[in-house]
Amino acid sequence: MTSGHAPHETPEMRMGHDLVRAFQHLPRERAAEEIATHIAKFWEPRMRHALMTQIRRGNTDLHPLLVRSAEHFVDGDIDRAEVAEPSGG
Amino acid sequence: MSILVEPDFGTPPVDAPLGAEATVTIDGREVTVPAGTSVMRAAKEAGIDIPKLCATDSLKSFGSCRLCLVEVEGGRGTPASCTTPCADGMVVSTQTETVRDLRRNVMELYLSDHPGNCAGCARGNCEMQALAVTTGVAEVRYGREGANHLDDATDASNPYFDYDPAACIVCSRCVRACSEVQGTFALTVSGRGFESRITPGNTNFRESECVSCGACVQACPTDALAEKSLVSLGMPSRTVLTTCAYCGVGCSFKAEVQGTGPATRVVRMVPWKDGGANEGHSCVKGRFAYGYAAHADRQLEPMVRDSIDDDWQVVSWKEAIERIATGFRAIQDQHGVGAIGGISSSRCTNEEVYVVQKMVRAAFGNNNVDTCARVCHSPTGYGLNHTFGTSAGTQDFASIEQTDVMLLIGANPTDAHPVFGSRMKRRLREGAQIIVADPRRIDLVRSPHVAAAHHLPVRPGTNVAFINAMCHAIVDEGLHDVAFLRDRCEDVEIFLDFIRGAENSPEATEAETGIPAAELRAAARLYASGGNAAIYYGLGVTEHSQGSTMVMGLANLAMLTGNIGREGVGVNPLRGQNNVQGSCDMGSFPHELPGYRHVSRPEVREIYESLWKVTIQPTPGLRIPNMFDSAIGGSFLGLYVQGEDIAQSDPNTQHVEAALRAMELVVVQDLFLNETARFAHVFLPGTSFLEKDGTFTNAERRLNRVRPVMPSLVGKDEWQVVCEIATAMGYPMTYADPAAIMDEIAATTPTFAGVSFARLDAEGSMQWPVNDAAPNGTPTMHVGQFVRGLGRLTPTVYVPTTEQTTRRFPLLLTTGRILTQYNVGAQTRRTPNSMWHPEDVLEIHPADAHVRGIATGDVVEMASRVGSTSLTALVSDRMQPGVVYTTFHHPVTGANVVTTDNSDWATNCPEYKVTAVEVTVSTQARRAAYEHETADLGASV
Repeated sequence: MTSGHAPHETPEMRMGHDLVRAFQHLPRERAAEEIATHIAKFWEPRMRHALMTQIRRGNTDLHPLLVRSAEHFVDGDIDRAEVAEPSGG
Repeated sequence: MSILVEPDFGTPPVDAPLGAEATVTIDGREVTVPAGTSVMRAAKEAGIDIPKLCATDSLKSFGSCRLCLVEVEGGRGTPASCTTPCADGMVVSTQTETVRDLRRNVMELYLSDHPGNCAGCARGNCEMQALAVTTGVAEVRYGREGANHLDDATDASNPYFDYDPAACIVCSRCVRACSEVQGTFALTVSGRGFESRITPGNTNFRESECVSCGACVQACPTDALAEKSLVSLGMPSRTVLTTCAYCGVGCSFKAEVQGTGPATRVVRMVPWKDGGANEGHSCVKGRFAYGYAAHADRQLEPMVRDSIDDDWQVVSWKEAIERIATGFRAIQDQHGVGAIGGISSSRCTNEEVYVVQKMVRAAFGNNNVDTCARVCHSPTGYGLNHTFGTSAGTQDFASIEQTDVMLLIGANPTDAHPVFGSRMKRRLREGAQIIVADPRRIDLVRSPHVAAAHHLPVRPGTNVAFINAMCHAIVDEGLHDVAFLRDRCEDVEIFLDFIRGAENSPEATEAETGIPAAELRAAARLYASGGNAAIYYGLGVTEHSQGSTMVMGLANLAMLTGNIGREGVGVNPLRGQNNVQGSCDMGSFPHELPGYRHVSRPEVREIYESLWKVTIQPTPGLRIPNMFDSAIGGSFLGLYVQGEDIAQSDPNTQHVEAALRAMELVVVQDLFLNETARFAHVFLPGTSFLEKDGTFTNAERRLNRVRPVMPSLVGKDEWQVVCEIATAMGYPMTYADPAAIMDEIAATTPTFAGVSFARLDAEGSMQWPVNDAAPNGTPTMHVGQFVRGLGRLTPTVYVPTTEQTTRRFPLLLTTGRILTQYNVGAQTRRTPNSMWHPEDVLEIHPADAHVRGIATGDVVEMASRVGSTSLTALVSDRMQPGVVYTTFHHPVTGANVVTTDNSDWATNCPEYKVTAVEVTVSTQARRAAYEHETADLGASV
């Protein structure tokens, strides 16, 4: 096996794909929600915008689950209570 | 304060059952003590000093010096008071003519082989002369002409203390301190009778197994073992109680000094017996390696330069601060409010860290603040908050006294947290057992009087598979605590369904983890059914792509077996730096205000907005790696860095350097011109722990006071400098003193509501939460219920790291710390500690070395996908095949040249512990680079 990060990945794509790997064992919609909530909780707005830009451009290197999670942002479908939970880290 | 002399009760306190007491009468004074207390200790508690030489209250009674003899009414002979337990109704006389005669005779014999011109006696560092007076010995009838040891040569090989056998009375206090307190067993008494001598084996101290913890020096009643600094400087004149600034144990020390003000000189650092974390013990770093604070490399004046290619120009504080304020504001004007940020330091006090995050949030106007915990224990914060509801370890260190089984994973306490490592060893000698999960055979696997029940050589990167297999085996064999799960936890069935999956079985994970299934099952049985089980872990858990998942896995294991919420159990992160816990508590993370409260919560922002009179951004700021990425992307151009050498300590050095080069204004505040300063435009001199006034919070959540031993050598305190930067940027920030900063912290953070400098000074230390519900602090967390209510069990699916071995990179590199050095070595390399560890070496298994033609001492090149470096090889069967190991204490090693951008999915903590590499015999002349480095450090090394 080789190192899994593609060299042309932007930092946001790399972080997003790390989240995909962490949550993709869950049912698809649940995983997308978890990823979206995590991004809402921890990502600085310009990082989110950078990811959205990649999605809008139709970057085919993006994992479909990451694209789906971004749709939760667009829809404002984020669990704000979970975002506000103490997290540390 | 004048010199603080702690009372010595002669023997340790007795932990008797409640109500089990004895009342005795000693020299007419009645005293009640716990049953089993020695007569010597009872006498001291009654205000009566019994002469002694071999007894001290940090060691078990020994009864060899025969000075502490007493008479007991109705008893026979003259028993030693140190070995005689009090019995109810006992009547003791300590000053009869009989015992006085005996003591005089004994004392004469000791003095007949003790230097008449003892330098220690003259200094006041030797108890012999005082005892001679106490016992009434005016002259030695035996003379000094007979056989004696007065001409024995001094062993001056240790850089910090001398052993003068002429002054030694062979009381064995040093030998017992080495074994009972430190647990190293380096010292012994060789020979018999008159030939009895203290020896560190058949060699000198420096070459011996001695770890220079100083316990023997502290225990020595004469001047036989004495600090070199005491010999050269003389006795100290006053004491300042303060806290060590090395690891997360947070040892309390008596800084014993001479002089006042700028003329202050530290004579020695002596561990404080009442220190809650260390209880009178120390390690070579805290005890002796403080000389860096006065090293000639200290930069004491602010400096600026327009370009990183220019020479530094010394300027006034005013000019430096104005340049920072102007520069930061110009960047924000051109590139937006979010174009600058700050990094706080786990080396600094809570108060210093608090003002940094306040400066960023209030003066910078964004949340771009992060801390060096990002690269060490951020997954601890995430994982323990997710499962338990608070971002901290669950126990105090003393909890281990009630532990029956320790699970140690990803930590090497005898090197990285030595004082707690000694405590672990002591508990193991008392009968507790230990399971060690570590790729290397560390000292707690096997060393004198220590033998792990199980060593599980988990392959780097497979921790989650390992912990799932532990949980699987426990559930599979019905060893889980059903009642605890029912009453205290949530998502129980979801977790049990997950963990029962065949993919989590020890048999299924064996190939991945490298741990034989039968061995793992045996370890799981021991953890689940061996009594109180406690987990201790370090960066070998957190610094992985699944670091946060693994912390949750550890929490799962503790909850599954009911090993949480009482003494002796728990999940305990061993924090790397002195104030990792505190720097996280103080709101250093870009998504949280102090007390781990998310910035999106309006009611929390309101607390600070009303007090600070600003608007706080409701969205997270940039983490450190995000700052680097944004700098390279052109949207982040200004950075204030407090006490962290990101160019050396953060992963993928090339990437970090590119980011720093891309910034327009980098401000570094540090003791030394570190690697990051090579890319800085403004350098602000920092203060050492000896100059700081504030608090550190250790791995137990214990707030300890840090008191200024001497005034700031740079003319300002670091919190003042931060306030002045904020003020110069148009946001006035002022405090009367650090106590006022803590008052603000307490007023705004519920877990610190009851904390103040006054209370800490009165109590010694306190463990948060300190509030109305726990006015005296909280040694054990989650008693009765978890902070979040129910403990959350989490399915921790194992996701292999993307950093995998290949034919080109067939070995896995993992990293760690060694006893005598500390992190990037900025401090310890500037002390004599470097004589034990002058360079980082690469440990490699004999089989891996053999096929590559590598022998110990060879210079080898180590290459990963992102870079290469060279080191000296050490062939060692401590390693498992396929895994190599090095430390990262020397810049020339450049360990992070080879580490990758991989990081924890949740926190971006770098995956330092897993890098695929190849090692070959080097053709490069690395020696020259090494010699260059040591020459740079000058004569103090």
